[in-house]
Amino acid sequence: MISRHRRSRLAATLAATTASLLVLAGCASGSGSSDAGPDANAEIIVGSQNEPTNLDQIFGGSSGVTEVFTGNVYEGLFRITDDAEVEPLLAKETEVSDDGLTYTFTLEDATFHSGDPLTAEAVKYSLERFIGDDSIAARKSQLSVIDTVTAVDDTTVEVQLSAKSISFTYNLGYVWIVNPEAGDLTAAADGTGPYALGDYRKGDSITLDVNEDYWGDAPANGGVVYQYYADPTALNNALITGAVDLVTSQSNPDSLSEFESGDYEIIEGTSTTKELLAFNDRVAPFDDVNVRKAVYSAIDREQLLDAIWDGRGQLIGSMVPPSEPWYLDLADNNPYDPELAADLLAEAGYADGFEFTIDTPESGVHSTVAEFLQTELAKIGVTVDINIITDDQWYEKVYTDHDFEATLQGHVNDRDINFYGDSDFYWGYDDADVQTWLADAEQADSVEQQTELITRVNQKISDDAASVWLYLNPQLRIARDGITGVPENGLNSLFYVYGIQEA
Amino acid sequence: MSVTVLTEAERNPRSRDTRSRRPRRRTSVNLLVGGVLFGIIAVVAILSLVALPFEPSDTTGGRLQPPSPEHWAGTDRLGRDLFTQLMIGARLAMLTGVGAVAIAAVLGVLVGLVAAMAGRWIDDALSSLLDIAIAFPTLLLAMLVVAWRGASLESAILAIGLAGSAVIARLTRVTATRVLAQDFVTASRTSGTGTLRLIRLHVLPNVWPTLIVPLALQFGGAVVAEASLSYVGLGSPPPNASWGRMLQEAQSTVLVAPTAAILPGLLLVATIIGINLLADGLRDVADPTGRTLR
Repeated sequence: MISRHRRSRLAATLAATTASLLVLAGCASGSGSSDAGPDANAEIIVGSQNEPTNLDQIFGGSSGVTEVFTGNVYEGLFRITDDAEVEPLLAKETEVSDDGLTYTFTLEDATFHSGDPLTAEAVKYSLERFIGDDSIAARKSQLSVIDTVTAVDDTTVEVQLSAKSISFTYNLGYVWIVNPEAGDLTAAADGTGPYALGDYRKGDSITLDVNEDYWGDAPANGGVVYQYYADPTALNNALITGAVDLVTSQSNPDSLSEFESGDYEIIEGTSTTKELLAFNDRVAPFDDVNVRKAVYSAIDREQLLDAIWDGRGQLIGSMVPPSEPWYLDLADNNPYDPELAADLLAEAGYADGFEFTIDTPESGVHSTVAEFLQTELAKIGVTVDINIITDDQWYEKVYTDHDFEATLQGHVNDRDINFYGDSDFYWGYDDADVQTWLADAEQADSVEQQTELITRVNQKISDDAASVWLYLNPQLRIARDGITGVPENGLNSLFYVYGIQEA
Repeated sequence: MSVTVLTEAERNPRSRDTRSRRPRRRTSVNLLVGGVLFGIIAVVAILSLVALPFEPSDTTGGRLQPPSPEHWAGTDRLGRDLFTQLMIGARLAMLTGVGAVAIAAVLGVLVGLVAAMAGRWIDDALSSLLDIAIAFPTLLLAMLVVAWRGASLESAILAIGLAGSAVIARLTRVTATRVLAQDFVTASRTSGTGTLRLIRLHVLPNVWPTLIVPLALQFGGAVVAEASLSYVGLGSPPPNASWGRMLQEAQSTVLVAPTAAILPGLLLVATIIGINLLADGLRDVADPTGRTLR
């Protein structure tokens, strides 16, 4: 009896499933054959794995905050384009004094989503908030050259710097101008951007509604929903079933084959994420340049890149990706050459090799990379122990306490070569020339001078093998056919959605 | 399946005869199939100590190659031979099973005997403790041990063994108590046999048979538990190729290279089925009436 019941229920379920599948198939083919031409009212569904932990950039809401809000909901005085250029945004005009210490900005005639006008006071509030005591924003230290901010009149702001800073306007591209009246921004938003924050469902989605009163050009779509998925497979399935229109970042090259048909477009841009084997340059044997160079030359990075990214991405030879002005092609500066590696090791007095531990964060591909390094280094007699740790442990043991020999990490920030000028940074690279050049570069009178100095730093850290820069991640986005205007490059998670449209 | 058996039994008035005959035949099949499955894995595990087709760290095989005459199970992302890894995985699985069962047996029997022999409040206290320990999920206990000792195969074995020992201890206590209440034990006691001698002569030989089947089943449970732990990164660390870790690593490439995910899964299933059939067979041999009465 029971079994007969079960069977009939199973039959019913099967019938229902088949029926709904047929209906779904019908829907899919129906929508596919609709008319062409961009639809300015279409809502774009963005699938992402990078959910912000809170909505305010100064409280460490992670790079997910940048992906959703910067340029979309909030705007800065300047905008950093997808090609890493700085262009004016809320600052209509900029005047710099001869000594480079006083910046005077004239503001655009913009309003916040709440209806309040953009004022000089709001800019003053926003800048002071960014470098204030409560802020843990990533660029806080670089912007701490701000001495005073004065609201001259309603549309004019004067910023006084304590030292010259050539990358001041670039860094301002990351600072949101927020409405001082808005209060707590960790779960709400009030900016001047083309979108206002709509529905915010923690753990699920963030909806951006079009700002009808936007001061600039109206966006090419009718709103954007960021849908979050914890699992990459679930995210891929969402794209396949049409639950999302595009995926902001695909970290698994082996699932790309699903999207190589004409129904999807795979967009490959340059990221700023560098996979590093970072030595603790303070401790033996890594305080010896020859040892570091030996390790570098012992690793077949081409094979590694191929293993991890299946031919995508690119090899780099220092901390600088091609998208930055001071890029040099240094990929072969420390060439893959096991014999050279063995010679260097012998020169350093480690002819019989040595043993060290790589503290490996459990997230991402690091443990696969660690296994590869273990194999490669074994060939020159160096024994690698792999110690798998959590991200929190990494932050404490490696980043804060500097208690490590070597570690693996992906560094996502753009223009982060300046970490090599900070001897207190976790890898502890300490070179007087590099420190001077980087300090001088920030004080430079022209971009040319700045570029010249940082290019020197670039060459020097590569010659010193301050770290092993293994490769540069590709930035892979996948969009459904008919979706255009998706930003290509992944400059520190910036993702402007206003140009995306549906045909 | 069960429906057919029932109707057959209803239709056939002489079903009692078939029922009493059938188990003995099935017993031998269970034992045989289980023994062969388990035996193959065990032989592979031992072989892996003697010879491997490739060095485990040899990365010259090419990325995600399909099975070929050279690489019988294909290669992984780093170009390492998967058949080699599967062999090492078999060794780790056997090691886990043997280690966990050994810990469970030694610790469990010890605690169980103490509880049974001591009686009174010690028995009550230990029994309560055992109930709590049995209610505690194995994987949670394993995570605690990993947090304490760091992720390694030893940690996993220790945790799984500890979790298993509670069940064995309770079983030992019950059986030992029953044995101690028997007349021949009382007789032996009154004739001046010491406690240790009593355990060796009378208690252990009578407790042991009831433990063999649960221990065999625990072997299978231990292999699964280690695979689960490795899958979530709490088992043996890289580059040890535990089947659970192989599954985890193959997950992202399952559409491109399905063999890398299927093979460790199949081996895991084969091992568990093998040991479970073996345990079933052992139970039937030890207690031929058990199956018919059930």
